[in-house]
Amino acid sequence: MTIVQTRGAPPQPRRQSVPGRIRIISGVTVASLALLFAALAVGSTTARDGLQVVGHDAGPQVVATAGLYLALSDMDAQVANALMMGNGYALERGRALARYDQRRSEANQALLKAFELSGDSPSERRTVQSVLDGLGEYERLTGQALLLDKRADHAPGPPPDEVVEIYRQATDLMRLELLPQAYNLTLENGTIVRRTYDDKNVMVPLLRGAAVVAGLIALVCLLWLQIFLATRFRRVFGPALMAATVATAVAMIFGVSVLGKDQEALRQAKSAGFDPVLTLVRARAISYSMQGDQSRYLLDKERADTYEHIFLDKSLSLMYLPAGNLGTYQDKVIRGSEGYLGLLGPELAGRRGTEAMRAYSNFQNADLAFRDFAIAGRTNEAVTARLGIVAQWFDVYDRALVALTQQHQDEFDRAIKTGESTLDSLWRLEPFAVGVIGLLVIAGVWPRLKEYR
Amino acid sequence: MKRALILLSALAMLAGCASDGQESIMDKDDIVIAVRSDLPSVGFRKPDDTFEGFDVDVARYVADKLGKHFTLLPVLAADREKALLNRQADLVVATYTISQERKAKVLFAGPYHVSYQDILTRRGEPIRNVRDLKGRSICEVKGSNAAQRVVEERKVAARLVPFDDYNACLAALKGREVDAVTTNDVILAGLAKQDPSGLQLNNAQFNEQRSGIGMRKGDVPACEAVNRAITDMYQDGTAARLLDKWFGTSGLDLSTAAVPQFEGCS
Repeated sequence: MTIVQTRGAPPQPRRQSVPGRIRIISGVTVASLALLFAALAVGSTTARDGLQVVGHDAGPQVVATAGLYLALSDMDAQVANALMMGNGYALERGRALARYDQRRSEANQALLKAFELSGDSPSERRTVQSVLDGLGEYERLTGQALLLDKRADHAPGPPPDEVVEIYRQATDLMRLELLPQAYNLTLENGTIVRRTYDDKNVMVPLLRGAAVVAGLIALVCLLWLQIFLATRFRRVFGPALMAATVATAVAMIFGVSVLGKDQEALRQAKSAGFDPVLTLVRARAISYSMQGDQSRYLLDKERADTYEHIFLDKSLSLMYLPAGNLGTYQDKVIRGSEGYLGLLGPELAGRRGTEAMRAYSNFQNADLAFRDFAIAGRTNEAVTARLGIVAQWFDVYDRALVALTQQHQDEFDRAIKTGESTLDSLWRLEPFAVGVIGLLVIAGVWPRLKEYR
Repeated sequence: MKRALILLSALAMLAGCASDGQESIMDKDDIVIAVRSDLPSVGFRKPDDTFEGFDVDVARYVADKLGKHFTLLPVLAADREKALLNRQADLVVATYTISQERKAKVLFAGPYHVSYQDILTRRGEPIRNVRDLKGRSICEVKGSNAAQRVVEERKVAARLVPFDDYNACLAALKGREVDAVTTNDVILAGLAKQDPSGLQLNNAQFNEQRSGIGMRKGDVPACEAVNRAITDMYQDGTAARLLDKWFGTSGLDLSTAAVPQFEGCS
């Protein structure tokens, strides 16, 4: 404001005021340049921080903890499978138990990751601890059930009641206590990513705006400085200051566009990468537990209805369409519906999505046949169907989900990489620009000030 | 210097614009929580116009964890969605079962409790399984689809006898006009507790029903905070204590009081 007032006053040819004016205008110019570069520096640090958290730290770790749910539910499914096989499938039983061990080790790894991610949140640490404790208890129970089952030497199908009784305790512990905690752990860790993203999504545009404002002020000051010098010293051109103006404009446009690109890269990584990957990993984990519900349906007659309903519930949570019972649902799925709601419904777009959809429909169709055998009392055939056609279609469906996940994972990696490489170029050029513009301003102003020495 | 100030105020303005994109109940000091007024031991309005029950205690715990003052609003089953969308209530803790249809309009934190459809009979006449209802007469209470679910979803040929409400149905059960009542187990437990001598809950546990805490769509930070409160409620033993307080003597199976699998906030 003071500056505007002096400008408003009639021009006074007092020579002493000229260097003072030059100093003031240069000072404001340098200050606004400093603001411009500070905004760009803070903006790019913020963006880099966001890319780091979403792309390298919390993001991938959250996805890894989602593997905990998958590993745990497949462990329980493998035990159910082994119990259902009886003495008819020695080879398959061995394979199921080997897979159980493999999943156990995956669960351990995921728990370690989850513990790392829990940071200083006491509630998350308690959850990890509680899952570890429960897992010990679960292994004790399944060990007992498997041993009794082996001794019973029963035909394929439901094992003796005492085995079912112990397995029931194990699976209740798994399904009602451990799996929910594992699932919630992933959701809770996912909030780190969401919060980081929301935070950066506000800060980066803000700093971008600040860079534009500071840049425009710097440009106006540089022009003003040139006009002032031109009128006072009767020089039309000040090449150094002109170059500084151009360099400032370029630096501003480039920096602002980099921040814009990074904001977009972060958005892309979150909404086209992280979110769908997490959703698909969760969907895949739920699908694994559905497979377990099929085996449990066969081996526990008393609870068969409950397990069937749980299977339906999970199907509905993945691919929702209005259906009161499993029969109606499978009918609709097999006939081919569109516009599914649920966790998976909106994700199954594109060629790979259609493949996954078709495999899911075939899996449900195989389930229908499997249940028909079970209802007709043809237990042996039901076991064969469960281990044969149902498992085959499940594998196709699972592979389709993995492929779809990979597609989003690639998009995620690409977005993070793009974001980081544009940031790198900004980081490389920014100090250079600061130096060059600084020197040019000095080169433009210093000789004029020297005339007053 | 002044320019820097102008710049700062411009920044502050930008910040203001950016942050009010989505309103959250986390920004409020006082919130309104809707609870049922008609279910004994779950959400019940006493003659002195205060509320009691499991849901009411859960509402109190969650509000406390969020650090909010709260007032309670009585709702019936049919009003729950309206109360949220008309902004009469900020949270709904009213045996509000999570479903895909409801999720299209309402955001659910939780579930804070998983209940099952269950069967209430006269003492000494147990029914182990939903299939045992075949050929028996059961209440069909107006506004509840529990009895139809037995016939249509479970394809069990039970005989449905219509009643206006649970009180009339309970009288009919005691008077041997019907053989069983079936609905959400916590509702049955509340009813059984009122008359412990003559009735028994069978723990048949068939359809799983997940009671969530409803809120307006888009309020993800609040949903995450409520989920955290529910986790705490189970970890510090409050959930087990409340379940025991309200349903301990009802015959409801309370052997696992474990945090349920959350629905997720996005």
